[in-house]
Amino acid sequence: MKRTTSLKTRGFTLTEVMIALGIGGVALGATLTSSISLQKSFRAIDSYFATHMQQIRIVDYLSRDVKRGLIVTTSADLQTVTITIPNYIYQKTDPEAIANPALVGTPRQPTITNTPSGPQVNYGTTTSTVVYSINGLSILRTENGAVTTIASSTDQLVPLTTDVELANTEYTKTSITFQPIFSSGGSVASRSGTTVYSTAYLRNKRRG
Amino acid sequence: MKLRKQPFQEGNVLICALCTILVISLIGANVLQNSTTRFNVASSQVRSWKEALFAAETGGDIGYAEVRKTVLDPSHAFEGWTTSGLQRTSPVITFGNNNLSTSTVIDVFYYDPATGNPWYRSRTRGTAPVKGLLRTGMDDRMDANTKGDSLLRKIDFFTDHFIATYGPNGDGVDKAIVPVANPQVTRRIEQISAPITPFEAAIRANGIFYGLGSAAYVDSYRSKNGAYDSSVKDNPSHPNFGDSRSGTVEINTAVATIQGSIYGNVYTNGGTVTKRTTNITGVIDNNVPFSLVPLEMPSAATWNYVASPSAVNGNTTITPAAPGSATSPNYYLITSFANNGNLTVTPAMNAGSPQETYVTLHVTDNIGNSTSSSPSIEVPLHVHLKIYFDGNLQTKAQNIINTSGYAGNLQFYAISPTDPSVQQTIDLNSGGGSTTGFSAVFYAPTANFTINGAPDITGAIVCKNFYANGNIHWHYDRELDNEGVAVDYRIVSYVEDTR
Repeated sequence: MKRTTSLKTRGFTLTEVMIALGIGGVALGATLTSSISLQKSFRAIDSYFATHMQQIRIVDYLSRDVKRGLIVTTSADLQTVTITIPNYIYQKTDPEAIANPALVGTPRQPTITNTPSGPQVNYGTTTSTVVYSINGLSILRTENGAVTTIASSTDQLVPLTTDVELANTEYTKTSITFQPIFSSGGSVASRSGTTVYSTAYLRNKRRG
Repeated sequence: MKLRKQPFQEGNVLICALCTILVISLIGANVLQNSTTRFNVASSQVRSWKEALFAAETGGDIGYAEVRKTVLDPSHAFEGWTTSGLQRTSPVITFGNNNLSTSTVIDVFYYDPATGNPWYRSRTRGTAPVKGLLRTGMDDRMDANTKGDSLLRKIDFFTDHFIATYGPNGDGVDKAIVPVANPQVTRRIEQISAPITPFEAAIRANGIFYGLGSAAYVDSYRSKNGAYDSSVKDNPSHPNFGDSRSGTVEINTAVATIQGSIYGNVYTNGGTVTKRTTNITGVIDNNVPFSLVPLEMPSAATWNYVASPSAVNGNTTITPAAPGSATSPNYYLITSFANNGNLTVTPAMNAGSPQETYVTLHVTDNIGNSTSSSPSIEVPLHVHLKIYFDGNLQTKAQNIINTSGYAGNLQFYAISPTDPSVQQTIDLNSGGGSTTGFSAVFYAPTANFTINGAPDITGAIVCKNFYANGNIHWHYDRELDNEGVAVDYRIVSYVEDTR
């Protein structure tokens, strides 16, 4: 008996199937690999940009405080910055505000004090202190004891601030770096490539 | 040949293509959403926040320029501003491609009790619109309880948060919900402008300098530490030695012929100090330029005008009825000061006791007008006299009598001629080698100053060209550093209201 083959039910040969599976596998593999790479790349870029935004935030915070600062000092490792700023707004703990609670949250009237180096503008008899420091993976801003985390990243943000004091002016130079997550082996180059620089002048430098 | 369709194979490719497009679209949408959010933050919100400060500082600069005009161009100061008492408000100024806006409120918050010079406080707000979508897009992913961006960059999307929370002046008064036309960032700064007084050196010459004579010297002391003692400058162990060598001479040209000894620094503008430079105890710096602007008569709006006398002919005594103050002195307009005029200003009395009395004269003519002029001016104790004069001053050193010995109690101000071809002069020719000197200060930025003889002088001078030929002893009182009328302003304090 002769077997008849219907065109409609004819299958693939083993060779055809093997070739098709091979090509399909390669295509699927390429797609998967590309997908994973794209995801990794996207995550890395997203993280890089997010950390960069935190760099900008640190710089903006620091510049704002240095500009209005009276005195700035930095630690030996350049990672802690202490800024003395005018006590512009009455705080709850200020003696005047204790005597008159309505003053809390209102701006002070400036006063003039004569000093050996000339008249000096003061806002109250006390000043506020702002400290920038690193705590683990976080950058902290502490104003009169109140702590605010202004940046936190697994990318290991490191701000370094140098205080430059000249005869008639004073300014701070800050550089902030981080270690991008897609860098290999924690290379120095990959960190230095992320550096953001900032310079801020003290507008109220105290002389004498 | 005709191709046959295979119905069971239809649709595979289409479904695969649609799925691929779907996946790619999802990835694209995700990327776009993240990018837009980041773009909003980085390019729009951060930029607006920074630009708002630029706008505020621009407003501060505009206000500062108006404050400077109060001494440099008094008749045009605060033109176009709204005045209410001591407070002036600028119009809202919009500028730049991004429609930044700024407005400033300036008020006098303090008068120096000794000089009467006002200090100005400038409060400025700068506003920048926030472009893009109405969403914060801020990155708060640092801690569950902290929102760094929101704390730092406050954006008003629908209402002005500052007015709603603190009131328009930030003092808790008149709080209101004020809608904003478009999302915006507003930043506020406060700056203090302090007066610059003119007598920071013993002698300042805007032009050439010649003097003071081979046996002359310039030194210094501080009057609040006691009377002048000529031995202190050569006695390093003396407690006041540190104040004795600040007899600084500043020359704004290269022409600096120094004679005698300078117990202080010598500054020139590109000059080579000649002659006895070994007798200069301080620093010689030939790269210290400065600028002097012509002096205009200040506003007398707050002064107490007294009509009589209006001329000084022969012996003339002024005794004010009230002592006045540095801010509001007794003000006399003198249209004539004769060659033989002898002016004495005596203090106002109260129950038989002399009061600290403040007097300002405006002499619209010369004070003495020939080489033989010998008009005199006498200021006894308790009198603080300022003399503005439009013309020249010619007299003898011994005719300037300031009993207190404090140079700040007798101040001369030479109003610059409106015609630049007119050369104003101050000529103090003692003659005969007289050693009788005076205690006074002179601010005469466009006048040539000449002095002869050997007078002993306590004071300071700012002039155009300086010429001295005689054995003059010039003692600069360091207390004069903060004495005198404001000749300019500088910003000495900057605070940002970060609420």
